[in-house]
Amino acid sequence: MAASSLRSFIKDVRAAKTLADERSIVTKQSAKVRTKLRDDHLPHSKRRTNIQKLLYLYILGEKTHFGQVECINLIASDQFVDKRLGYLATNLLLDEQQDLLTLLTNMLNNDLTHLNKYIVSLALMTLGSLSSNELARDLYPDVEAIMQSSKDPFLLKKALQVVAKLICKDASLLEIFPLGFLTTNILSSGLLPTHGVWLGVCKVLTAILSNITSEVPEPTINEIVQQLKVLTPQLLSKLSSLNTKNLEPAFDVQGVQDPFLQCELISTLKWIFKISTELDAKDVLSFTDKFSDLLTQLATNTDTHKNPGQAVLYEITRTIFDLNMSQPLRILGINILGNFLKTGKGVKLNNNIKYVALNTLIDVVKREPDAVQRHRTFISSCLYDPDISIKFRSLELTFAILNEDNLLELVKEIICFLEKIANPNFDRLSPYVDIDDSKDLIVYSVDHLIEKFDLYPESKESEKLRNLFKILGVVGGIINLDTINEFLITINNITKWADKIGILFEMLQATISNDRANIGSQLVSIWCIGEYADILLKFESNDKVINEISMANYLLKLDSGSRISNNCLLIHYVMTAALKLSSKISEPAAVERLRQIIKSHSKDPNLSIQTKSIQYELIFNQPNNVKRLMLTAMPKFNRNRVVNNDEQTQLRKLQHQQENAKSNTTADLLLDLLSEPAPTKNKNKAPAQHVVLPENSTLINESNQLEVYSFPVSIVEGNAHFELYFKNKGPEVTNLQSLCAVPKTQKLILGQIHPSHNDIGINQFVKQSLKISGSGNLKLRVKLSYTSRDGGPMTEQFDHKFNHSI
Amino acid sequence: MSHIKYLLLVSRQGKVRLMKWYQPLTEKAKTKIINDLTPLILGRKPKMCNILDYSDHKVIYRRYASLYFIIGITPNVDNELLCLDLVHRYVETMDVYFGNVCELDIIFNFAKAYDILNEMVMCDGSLAESSKKEVLYAVQTMDGMDDNDKLEKVLS
Repeated sequence: MAASSLRSFIKDVRAAKTLADERSIVTKQSAKVRTKLRDDHLPHSKRRTNIQKLLYLYILGEKTHFGQVECINLIASDQFVDKRLGYLATNLLLDEQQDLLTLLTNMLNNDLTHLNKYIVSLALMTLGSLSSNELARDLYPDVEAIMQSSKDPFLLKKALQVVAKLICKDASLLEIFPLGFLTTNILSSGLLPTHGVWLGVCKVLTAILSNITSEVPEPTINEIVQQLKVLTPQLLSKLSSLNTKNLEPAFDVQGVQDPFLQCELISTLKWIFKISTELDAKDVLSFTDKFSDLLTQLATNTDTHKNPGQAVLYEITRTIFDLNMSQPLRILGINILGNFLKTGKGVKLNNNIKYVALNTLIDVVKREPDAVQRHRTFISSCLYDPDISIKFRSLELTFAILNEDNLLELVKEIICFLEKIANPNFDRLSPYVDIDDSKDLIVYSVDHLIEKFDLYPESKESEKLRNLFKILGVVGGIINLDTINEFLITINNITKWADKIGILFEMLQATISNDRANIGSQLVSIWCIGEYADILLKFESNDKVINEISMANYLLKLDSGSRISNNCLLIHYVMTAALKLSSKISEPAAVERLRQIIKSHSKDPNLSIQTKSIQYELIFNQPNNVKRLMLTAMPKFNRNRVVNNDEQTQLRKLQHQQENAKSNTTADLLLDLLSEPAPTKNKNKAPAQHVVLPENSTLINESNQLEVYSFPVSIVEGNAHFELYFKNKGPEVTNLQSLCAVPKTQKLILGQIHPSHNDIGINQFVKQSLKISGSGNLKLRVKLSYTSRDGGPMTEQFDHKFNHSI
Repeated sequence: MSHIKYLLLVSRQGKVRLMKWYQPLTEKAKTKIINDLTPLILGRKPKMCNILDYSDHKVIYRRYASLYFIIGITPNVDNELLCLDLVHRYVETMDVYFGNVCELDIIFNFAKAYDILNEMVMCDGSLAESSKKEVLYAVQTMDGMDDNDKLEKVLS
């Protein structure tokens, strides 16, 4: 028996034993609803039941498109019960992108002027969530009329919300919105401004302020500023009045008076000051001090122990940093966040505030590093939080506050942390972190620790080295082996020999006698043996673990071990170390062992190892003095690291300046020589860079707008490097793009247009580099597209054949 | 300024009990979000924080008995902590309306759950009314009008 009411339909679905059962019930009902809805003579009550079923299907994730029109039809009914369901269904089943919305226009238009205020409210709600641009334009006057005439806060708040939405949809509406009405009629009336209405007012203001662009006409802006001058104090006093201990039960959220409205007011004020700063509206900005005072007051009076209070405090700090307010306030903000990290201890574990605090601190740490520094202990205590996302954020923050002064302390802290999570039993000890996560944490920490190696001053190099080995000992088996190179470079670059050798000696002692050392430590020890054996042997020590034989044996042991595990990297390291060691020792037995290591790989299936073995054997057999020359110690390394964004931009700036200086001088020289009138400099752009055409370049194409020259930088067999110079003859060109093609036998690397593909003035040059590799005659097809100031978008295409071939 | 992207109610078994999208998304995108988030959030341990990053936005969730309330929010606009309170307010309001609300109430009366939500949150996910009393009054008045209509129908 098929279910007839919604209730029994839901019951049937829930009672289904298997997924297949459920599916069959759902499909059956879906088909039934579809046929029922097609029937025009279906009584209204049945129609409603079917629409309700349709909604249940929607929640189940089924297709419901077939009922969309029916939902809209239901709105047309005179009965409230039909309308209510119809609006609800329309709201859920349709969205802003559907064409069906045009069907709604008329009905909404009628209902917005309905006598029943609940029908008006339903229409408003629907317009608010389904407003296409057309609906926004067509129905805005109705909504504004409701706002102007309604004396009922219930409708007023909804009308305000919808106005805000419509303004966001069609920004030109903000020019006709009567902002003055808010101050004169709504906010100053005694009865109207309920919290709901205030929320609506805030929403409208935010919508207007966030949609102010340069296209808004001057008079409108002036009007808005005038109104803000009146509105700002009103908002401020409302916000201040909310911060009381006299709670109204309807708005009390765990002892805080309406945190929703408080946050909304704070964020609206944030928008007001933000836009006023941009517009330089001094009248409004004169309230900044009042706002700062109020924020300070809120920060001290708000209860920090419960979520609503924390939400308000969090909003305050976000505002402080978004507006970049005065330094005392910024410190206040950081302290609020610092306290968030603290409250987790003892009182009640609350990870959400830790999360938001760390997240925000990461963003602002650059602006107030010292203030954040003060909360260091709490930040590092978050490293041990069970939640992985908090762990990650506190780690990131720890690295952000790491500097020369706290270097040793924090690195110690981080190594401690690494020891914990690198523990193979860690994932069992802490059920919240899985093994992949802890690996990510380790890789992240090690990468950053290596970066921080550069921070150590020369006087602390021995600590640096000790830390390095500690890190290696903890995570050497986990990290990516490419990172080992970074460790080696750091070791290599340490110049204080006395300390270095002592520490290396200890390290080697430990690893040689330890069979279970991790692969990272093994690689580093092998490398050190090869590199520093001679100095290590001279090191005065009572312990005789390290001698020529033991080192050779160690290499031999690892070599034979690596055959089983087939670790190529280790074999490479061992062979190189064996070769280097052989030039540094004299004991014949040891030397013979080393020779065996190298020789044993001469038939290795791995080609690179085999080649290495054969080549090394040749060198091995050279007389010692020749060998020593070939195998001298590594020179100091210069690290080529990918610099992070900030540094990069700085670097780029520097480069630009230098290039400027250079190109300017060459330009001047050329000018002297050619005694031409000076090219007009682009005054409004500070870094005016001039690309100058080299002397022996050839014109390869000319159009009304652009001349294209080519200049051969270098042409050798298989490779050619050209530069293309574009000269703009006509009005200013923007967005120049050039696409080049070469014959199939060649490959092309196309550089960027330099200095910029935009704003190319008259008689200015820009250049682009072309690197061609391959063989054959040099031919080029060039396609240019650009926007000329007068002519609009243009394209050009030409072919060019060079006289050269590669 | 609240700017919620969507609200989902998901049961402990991973069944969707209610969904409301405040942004136009394709069916495919909606299904993807539900399918991604359900296991992610159901799998989280009680001590973990209720905020997580998901694709280009943040998701906050809160568990009430067997039901998870999940909200997608706009980073840097929405206040994560406040949204948690918003969920709480919604639950409180339903609690008063249904009288000790439970999952079954929402399953069988999803339309009412939507009505309450629509009185609280409007347009593209912004809070329209923070007073519990106001929301309940509006919903209950409309319920009364529904009943009137039905009654008249019977009498005529």
